[in-house]
Amino acid sequence: MTIPASLYAPRPCRLLETSDLTPQEKLFRLQLADDTSLGHQPGQFIQLSLPGLTEAPISIASSPTRGPVFELGVRRAGRLTSALHQLAPGATIGIRGPFGRPFQLDALRSGPLLLIAGGCGLAPLRSLIQYCQDRPEEFGAVHILYGARSPADLMFKDDLAVWQRSDRLDCRTTVDRTPAASCYDGDTGLLPELLSRLDFDPTDCRAVLVGPPPMYRPVIAELRRLGLDGDRRIMLSLERQMRCGVGKCGHCSIEHLSCCSDGPVFWLEEVENLRGAL
Amino acid sequence: MKTTLTTCPWCGTGCNFYLFTDERGQLSGVEPAAGHPVSRGQLCLKGWNAHAFVAHPERLTVPLYRRQGELVPCDWNSALDLLHERLSAIAERHGPDSLMFLASAKASNEENFLLMKLARAGFGTNNIDHCARLCHSSTVFGLAETLGSGAMTNSLDCFEQTDLVLVIGSNTTEQHPLIGSRILQAKQRGADLIVIDSRTIRLARHADLHLRPRNGTDVALLCGIMRQILADGLEDRDFIAARCENFAAFETSLRDCTPERVAAITGEPEEQLVAAARRFARAEKAMIVFAMGITQHSHGVDNVRALSNLALLTGNLGRPGTGINPLRGQNNVQGACDMGALPDVYSGYQKVSDPAVRKKFAAAWGVDLPEQPGLMATHAMEAAAEGRIRGMLIMGENPLLSEANQGLIRQALQKLEFLAVIDIFPTETAQLADLVLPAACYAERDGSYTSTERRVQRGRKAIEPPGEARADWQILRALLGRCGLQADDTGPEQTMMEISTLTPSYAGISYPRLEGAGLQWPCPEAEHPGTPILHVENCSRGKARFSPVTYRPSAEVPDTDYPFLLNTGRTGVHWHTGSMTRRSHLLDREEREPYVEIHPQDAARHQLKERQPLQISSRRGSIEALARITDRVPAGQLFIPFHFVEGAANALTNNALDPESGIPEFKVCAVRLQPC
Amino acid sequence: MLKQLAEKDLLRLLERIATRRRLLTPQRQSDGSRLLLPWPGGLPELVGTPLQRKPTEIFFPQLELLMELDNSGDVRLPVPADKPVALLGLDHFDLAAIAFLDRFFLSRPTDDAYLRRRHDALLVGLSGLAGPQGATLPPAETCDLELILVPDKLLARPHAKLGEELLAGFTAADPTALRAIDRSPAERPATLLAAARLLQEDQVPEAFWEEIAARCIACGGCNFACPTCNCFGVQDRTFGNRTERSRLWDSCQLDAFMREAGGHNPLGTETLRTRRRVYHKLVADPLRWGELGCVACGRCDRACPTGIGMLALCEDLVRR
Ligand SMILES: Cc1cc2nc3c(=O)[nH]c(=O)nc-3n(C[C@H](O)[C@H](O)[C@H](O)COP(=O)(O)OP(=O)(O)OC[C@H]3O[C@@H](n4cnc5c(N)ncnc54)[C@H](O)[C@@H]3O)c2cc1C
Ligand code: SF4
Ligand code: SF4
Ligand code: SF4
Ligand code: FES
Repeated sequence: MTIPASLYAPRPCRLLETSDLTPQEKLFRLQLADDTSLGHQPGQFIQLSLPGLTEAPISIASSPTRGPVFELGVRRAGRLTSALHQLAPGATIGIRGPFGRPFQLDALRSGPLLLIAGGCGLAPLRSLIQYCQDRPEEFGAVHILYGARSPADLMFKDDLAVWQRSDRLDCRTTVDRTPAASCYDGDTGLLPELLSRLDFDPTDCRAVLVGPPPMYRPVIAELRRLGLDGDRRIMLSLERQMRCGVGKCGHCSIEHLSCCSDGPVFWLEEVENLRGAL
Repeated sequence: MKTTLTTCPWCGTGCNFYLFTDERGQLSGVEPAAGHPVSRGQLCLKGWNAHAFVAHPERLTVPLYRRQGELVPCDWNSALDLLHERLSAIAERHGPDSLMFLASAKASNEENFLLMKLARAGFGTNNIDHCARLCHSSTVFGLAETLGSGAMTNSLDCFEQTDLVLVIGSNTTEQHPLIGSRILQAKQRGADLIVIDSRTIRLARHADLHLRPRNGTDVALLCGIMRQILADGLEDRDFIAARCENFAAFETSLRDCTPERVAAITGEPEEQLVAAARRFARAEKAMIVFAMGITQHSHGVDNVRALSNLALLTGNLGRPGTGINPLRGQNNVQGACDMGALPDVYSGYQKVSDPAVRKKFAAAWGVDLPEQPGLMATHAMEAAAEGRIRGMLIMGENPLLSEANQGLIRQALQKLEFLAVIDIFPTETAQLADLVLPAACYAERDGSYTSTERRVQRGRKAIEPPGEARADWQILRALLGRCGLQADDTGPEQTMMEISTLTPSYAGISYPRLEGAGLQWPCPEAEHPGTPILHVENCSRGKARFSPVTYRPSAEVPDTDYPFLLNTGRTGVHWHTGSMTRRSHLLDREEREPYVEIHPQDAARHQLKERQPLQISSRRGSIEALARITDRVPAGQLFIPFHFVEGAANALTNNALDPESGIPEFKVCAVRLQPC
Repeated sequence: MLKQLAEKDLLRLLERIATRRRLLTPQRQSDGSRLLLPWPGGLPELVGTPLQRKPTEIFFPQLELLMELDNSGDVRLPVPADKPVALLGLDHFDLAAIAFLDRFFLSRPTDDAYLRRRHDALLVGLSGLAGPQGATLPPAETCDLELILVPDKLLARPHAKLGEELLAGFTAADPTALRAIDRSPAERPATLLAAARLLQEDQVPEAFWEEIAARCIACGGCNFACPTCNCFGVQDRTFGNRTERSRLWDSCQLDAFMREAGGHNPLGTETLRTRRRVYHKLVADPLRWGELGCVACGRCDRACPTGIGMLALCEDLVRR
C-alpha cells in the first residue's frame, strides 16, 4: 500500500546563528539540512520540534526573498522555548511546515499599507516588511506601527533603526511606559493613539494586525474610525495553541475554523462575529 | 491487544476499569467498566488517564544503593541482604523500637499485611504506620470511640435514596469525583444539599445552603447547630433512647453554644446556622459526608466526634440514605488501616495491647510479638529528628512532600542511620535514601484494595514491570524469609487466605469471591454477602456514644506578622505529591505550576496581578507560587495545593498534632505574602 | 446477494476473514459489557448492549506512537502491522462514526498515522435483532458486509466487492426473510436535530450553558467515549537519546486544552468549554463537513457522571 509522507515527521534544520533581541527574545537563523529553501510566504509559520519537548508554532520572521536561510524571533515562554534559547549554533532542530494561510499579498498591493504589530507580533510582520523592502515596486506607501511594553521590550531594534532611516518606509514605535533614564525617542502610549496621529490616505488603504489578544479590538475600532470600513480592509493574524499545524488536532479551533490551516491570517470579517475569536 | 479489569489506583471511590495493552506490551488506554456498581461506565479524568504514567522513562528499574554519596545500581540479592542486615544491626544495637516502617495506601491489602507482619514478627516492633495518619486518623479514632468502627457507615448507593446530603470539609467533585457526581445527581433528583466549607467549591454552587465558617471553627459551628436542633425539639428522641448513651452529659455540654457566640467564633451569621440546623434535622434521611477539612486539625478528633453526635442526635445511622461517611482518600487507605498498618492494632483493628489477640498472631506466625503500641508516623518523624528512630523502611510514600513542616521531615530523614525506600519513581524522599528498591506499579501486580465504602476488590496484573522492578509483595516475602519467617513465593491470593484466617471482618473474603463487584466488609463467613450498611441494629460497640466536645482554636492563627490563614489541599487533576500525575501528560498540562488562591479584595489591597509570582512565608519556611485571584477562597485566606515540589505547601504548614490521633494541622496556619 | 449463515458457516466466514486479517470480534467481559478483541475462535457475542469502547479507537487509539526521534534529527515511523484489521459486529452508529473519522483524517492533508491503521481494514456491520434484549438495530450498510439477525436466522449481505468475495459459496437466503424485522433506516433523534437548529440560529441563552457547565466535573469522559471526537495532544518521552513522540486523546472540556503559554485562554471558562463541546458537533461540523458531528450513539450520555451528555443536554435544551 502507499502511505503518503508523514504529516508529523519533522525535517532537520541547522541552527546557524543566534542573537539576543530583548532580554526575553532571541533571533534564530536556520537553514534546512538539505540546503533547500523553505518555500514559505510571509505570514506562515513552522512547527518547531525539539525531542523531549514536542513542538511549538513559530512564525517565520524573514522574507522568502532572502534565500534559503530563514529567521525566527522567539520569546522564552515555557519549556520548549526556554530549551531553544539554550541552543548554540551548530545544533540540529526539527521543523515541519511551512503551514497556514499567508498574508494575502495580492490584496495588499493596491494602496498604502498599515502594518501594525504589538509585542511578539512583529516577528511575522517582519517577513512581510522585508518582502515589501525587497519588492518596492509592488507596493504603495508602507507605514509600520509597533507597540511594546517598554523600550527594552522592542524586538528587532536593528531592523527598526534601518526601517526608520529608509525613505520608502514610515516606521514608528510606541511603548506603554518609558523609564526615566532612557534614550528612547519614540512615542509613548497605546497603539490606537499612535494610529490616530498618523497621516495617511485611507481610500485604498489596507491594514495588517498582529499582536497580543487585548490589542485587536481597540486598534480595529480606531482603524474603522479612520475610514477602514467594509470588507477586505483589515487582515489579522491570530494565535492559538497548536499541536499539529494541519487542521487535525483541534486545539486551535475558532468555532468552525482551524486557526492553523484556515488562518492564522484572516480577513477581519471572516472572524469578527465568531465567538472567542478576538 | 488485551484487556485487564482492575481497580482504579487513585482515590478511595473504588471505580473499576479495563486497561488496554497494545501489541508492544504497553498500556494504551483505559475504558470504564460499565457493569461495575461504582464506576457504572464512568470515570474521572485521573481514572481515564490511569495508564499514562506507567511507562514513564523515569520509572525505577534496578535496585540502587548509596556509595560515596551516589545512588548506584546493585543486584536484588545484595540489596535485600543489605536492607535486612542494616535494619537488624540497628535493632540489635538500639532495640527494635529504633526502627520505623511506613506502609502505603497505594499498596495492596496483602502488601500492607506483609509489611505489618515484617515489622511486628520480623523485626519485633509495633512501629508501623502509613499516610492514614495524615488523612483519617482522626476519623478512625473518633468513630471507634463513638460507634466502634472508624469506617464509612453507609454505601455509595445510599446517595440515590437520601433526602439530604451534608458535605463538610470535602471538595468531593475534585477529590472523589465519582462520589461528587452522585451528590450532584442527588441534588438534581430533588435531594437537599448543605455545604459547609470556607471555599466556594463546586458543590457549594449547587447547595441549598452554603456555610463558610472560618477554618478551624467547625466544632463551634456543629455544636451551635446541635444546640439549635435541641432548642427546636427536632432531635430523634426514640433513636437516642433506644440506641445511644451519654446523652445527658452531651446535652449539658451544648449549653453555651448559643447562636450569637457561635456566630462570633465562626464568622457565619446566626440565620444560616439556624437554617442549616432546621433543614438538616427535618430531613427524614440525611447523609453526612466529610474528609480532610474535618480531620486535619489539631482538634480533628473533636470535629469527628461532633459530626458523630450530629448524626446520632437526628437518628441518621444504620438506615439506607443516612450515616457518617468519611471519604477515604487513597484507593487503599481503608485497606492499609484494615490490614493493621497502624501502631496499635493488627489487621481488623485487633488491639496489640490485647493479650488474647497477641497470642493468636504469635501462634500463627511462630514468634513472640511486642506488647507496647508503636509510634505514629508523625511522632516517628519527631523521634527520628531527635535520634530515637535510627532506621526506616518506607514503602510507596513520599513524606518529604506530604507531611507537615518539610524542614523538620528533611532533618529527620537525613539524620537516620539507614533509610530504605521502595517506590516506582525517584521521589524526593527516595533521593535521601541509602537504598532504593524498584517496585511494580498497580498495573503490574495482583492484589486487593479496599475502597471507602469498605468494598474489597481485585487489582489485576496487566503488564510486566519495567526492568528488574518487582511487586512489593515479592520484596516483602524475600525480607520475611531473611527474618526467618515463611517466605515461599506464593502470591497475594495465599496472603489473602492468611488475612482471612486472622481477621474476623475479612474472614469470609477469598479471591474467588472477589470476582465481580467485590465484597463490603464486615464479611465474617464464607457465605456472608458483605455489609453495605454498618450499625443497622446495634453499633459495633453496642450503644452509640454521645461524646461531648468543646471548641478549641487552631494552634496557630493569623496575627499581625502573619496575617493570612493558609489552607492547603489538592486539585482535581493531581494526586498528592504529583509523582504519578505530574508524569501523565494531560494531568500535568492542566496544572504545571504551584499557585496560591487569593481573594480579589486581598489581591487588590496588595496590588497583585493574576499569575504574579509571590513569596509565601510561615514561621517554618517560605515558598514561591503564582497568584490565582479568585473568590473561591474567602478574604483573609490563602489556599495552596501541596502537589508541587517547586512550591511545596508543606514547607509552610504547621506540624501541631492532634493529641489523640497525631494528625497535623494541615488546614490552618498563619502566613504572610510578598511579591517576588 | 443475500446469504444465510448457519453457525458453522459463520465460523467458516470468520476463519476466512482471519486468514488475511487480524480479526476483532465482540467479546463479553466479566462485568457484562462487550469489547472488540482479537477473535479467540468460536462464535462471537453479537447480541447485547452497544460495544462499550468506541470502535474508532482501533484506528485512532487513546495513545499512539507517532514516531521515534533521535538526537541527530533522524525520524523513524512505526512499521504498519503486517496484516490489516477486520472489525466485526459494528452497528449503524459505529459505522457512521467511522465514516465521519475517515472523512476527517483522510481528507487532505491525509493523516498518515490514521491511514496506516485504517488502510485495507474490513468492516463487518451488524443489524437486526442484535440490540440489547433483542431490540432491533437499524440497517448497517456502510461496510464491506452486513450481518443481519432475523428470528432464528443469521443473514449476510455484501456491500462491497470484498464482502462479496468473502460470502462466495454460502447458501443464498430468501430475501423475504428480511420482512420479519423492521428495516427502516436509522434517523438522528428529533431532539438532536431540533437542538442543532436552535444552536445554528443562535437561540440558546448564555444562562443555559452556565447552568449545564456548573454540573460538569471535567472528567473528559464525553470526549473520550465519543467515536467522532478527534482532538489529540502530543507527548514526548525520552529514553536516553531516543524520544518517542506519541499522540493521545485530548478533551476540550479541560481548562488547558487551549490555554497558551502566556495564560491567555480562548476557552477559559467551563461555560465556554461546555458550549464548545456541543457547538462543535452541532454547528461547526455541519458547516465544515455538511453533517452533524454527533451520530447519536449515546456513549457520552453513558460516560457522563453528572447526566449532561449530548442527548440529555439536547433534550433539556429543546424542552426549554
Ligand atoms: C501561529 C503562531 C505563531 C507564533 N509565532 C511565534 C513567534 O514567532 N515567536 C514566539 O516567540 N512565539 C510565537 N508563538 C507562540 C509560541 O508558539 C508559544 O510561546 C510557544 O508554543 C510556547 O511553548 P513552550 O513549550 O515554550 O511553552 P509551554 O508553556 O511550556 O508549552 C505548553 C504547550 O502549549 C502550547 N502553547 C502554549 N502557548 C502557546 C501559544 N501561545 N501558542 C501556541 N501554542 C502554545 C505549546 O504547543 C506547548 O507544547 C506563535 C504561536 C502561534 C500559534
Ligand atoms: S473517582 Fe476515584 S476511583 Fe473513580 S476514576 Fe476517579 S480517581 Fe479513580
Ligand atoms: S452521542 Fe455523544 S458520544 Fe455519541 S457521537 Fe454523539 S456526542 Fe459523540
Ligand atoms: S462527561 Fe460530563 S462531567 Fe465529564 S467532562 Fe463531559 S460533560 Fe463534563
Ligand atoms: S494546530 Fe492542530 S488543528 Fe490547528
